[in-house]
Amino acid sequence: MSRPHLLLPFVMLVPSLALAIWIIGYPVADLMRMSVHAVNRFGRVGNFVGALNFSEVLTDPLFWASFWRTVVWTVSLTFGTILISIPVAFILNQDFAGRGLTRLIVLLPWAVSATMTGIVWRWTLNGQFGMLNALLTELGLIGQPIEFLATGEVAFPVAILIGILAAVPLTVIIFLGGFSSQPSDVFDAAHIDGAGPVATFRYMTLPLIRPFINIAIVLNVIYAFNSFAIIWILTQGGPANSTDILVTYLYKVAFQYGKLAEASAMSLMMFAFLLVFCTLYARFAIRERAW
Amino acid sequence: MTRAQKTFVNWLLLSPLLILILLPYAVMLSTALKPATEVFTFPPRWLPENIDLSNFIVIWAKIDFARALLNSLYVSIGATILTLVLAIPAAYAMARYTLPGKGPLRLFLLLTQMISPVVLIIGIFRMMSAQGLINDHLSLILAYSGFSVAFAVWMLQSYFETIPREIEEAAYIDGANWFASLRRIFLPLAMPAIGVTAMFTFIAAWTDFILAFTLLRTPEKLTATMKLFYLVSGTYHVDWNEVMAATLVTTVPIAIIFLLLQKHIVGGLALGAVK
Repeated sequence: MSRPHLLLPFVMLVPSLALAIWIIGYPVADLMRMSVHAVNRFGRVGNFVGALNFSEVLTDPLFWASFWRTVVWTVSLTFGTILISIPVAFILNQDFAGRGLTRLIVLLPWAVSATMTGIVWRWTLNGQFGMLNALLTELGLIGQPIEFLATGEVAFPVAILIGILAAVPLTVIIFLGGFSSQPSDVFDAAHIDGAGPVATFRYMTLPLIRPFINIAIVLNVIYAFNSFAIIWILTQGGPANSTDILVTYLYKVAFQYGKLAEASAMSLMMFAFLLVFCTLYARFAIRERAW
Repeated sequence: MTRAQKTFVNWLLLSPLLILILLPYAVMLSTALKPATEVFTFPPRWLPENIDLSNFIVIWAKIDFARALLNSLYVSIGATILTLVLAIPAAYAMARYTLPGKGPLRLFLLLTQMISPVVLIIGIFRMMSAQGLINDHLSLILAYSGFSVAFAVWMLQSYFETIPREIEEAAYIDGANWFASLRRIFLPLAMPAIGVTAMFTFIAAWTDFILAFTLLRTPEKLTATMKLFYLVSGTYHVDWNEVMAATLVTTVPIAIIFLLLQKHIVGGLALGAVK
């Protein structure tokens, strides 16, 4: 087959690459420039200030509070999501009546978006008129309604639970891929050799889905770290910054407090963290695919 | 264990999660069917005393929700088309030709697909502002495509590599020119992967919060997601019955499409999420 000129593949590649580089490269370059300059609240870039913006961020107590909250948020969201998703995917991989329907329900929150989930839960959790309080009261579990979103101590764990609910579908999909790719003859052999379900799960299923657990951890850490919508919709990081994670605090510093230079410095630090994590993911993915 | 027993046990084990996922839908339905007077009663009740369908009319007339839905469709479809137009040739080039620097290129694609707009949002805002694209749907289409295109190329390339080159070559020998063999032979075979990629891109755009939140300004430009967000935030009084009617209208079509396509989706998602 006579191949088209070698120029052609490059012509085919360049437009998509150009768009990706433009949409990521320009903002990164701009953030780098702003992070080492003074920037007024209208975005005018002034004098070079060196690392001043970075030290401003690192001495800001609210930054550290958001940082630690992000750690708690990311770790519990990732851990909780994976803990729920493995058994769920295991069950959904079995053959039973209504499997299609259960799969559909479990995957639904992914398609309807975290925003919708957040909005409906905000109403469901409403302190006075919310249906969750109605349900708990009817069941006799609580005497008087709980103000779920009024204080950070209650609102933040509640947000974590909703975040887990929103993250479960994609994680289940990852593990479904893992379970469905397992060789069934090995399991038949184990069954014949007298291995019970617990032993099979512990010594065969878990080791076999190990690489999928790695992928799920990295993807969930990235997802949780970036998840802006759920917290913003439920509490907007309030009351009094008590539920802010880094992404919501970043948004406030930039667009509400108008400190663009400090926000840029913060952005870059978060970007660097993400890049490290993405590289980890790339390593797992490369090992999986062996290219 | 018989299949019936297994079915029972599995449903029982899944029930807490299923209830938690479906609870919001019950809440949506319950609230959307109530007149305003019944929404704000204490204690709240699950079943409406009078079923009131006027909420579903009010959302079109009062909050112009049809326009918001159309805006969402416009930016999501626009982003999907742009992404596919750019990604299909790129993925084809990467799957079929030996290119120098292909390894680093794949690494770059893999890394960019993981970067989310949130951490770059200040830079994106300034960039769109410099281009005069604030409050313009084009800015959303460009940004969604920019963040989806790497993933799309990655996914399409994995699939394109599984299509045997010989089929195209056979068509070429039979007298079809390169372009015709591409269009008549290759593209139809690639349709499943293109479909899944399109769906991923569409859903990423449809469910976006941060970009629309940052780049759109005026009410008539808002997407459905943003419209709903502004309805529930900032004001002291929220007409939850109307909001729930609107969320129902937004989510039910997606759920139905999901129901119709579920076989393809689960297979395709497993492909996309892992590979």
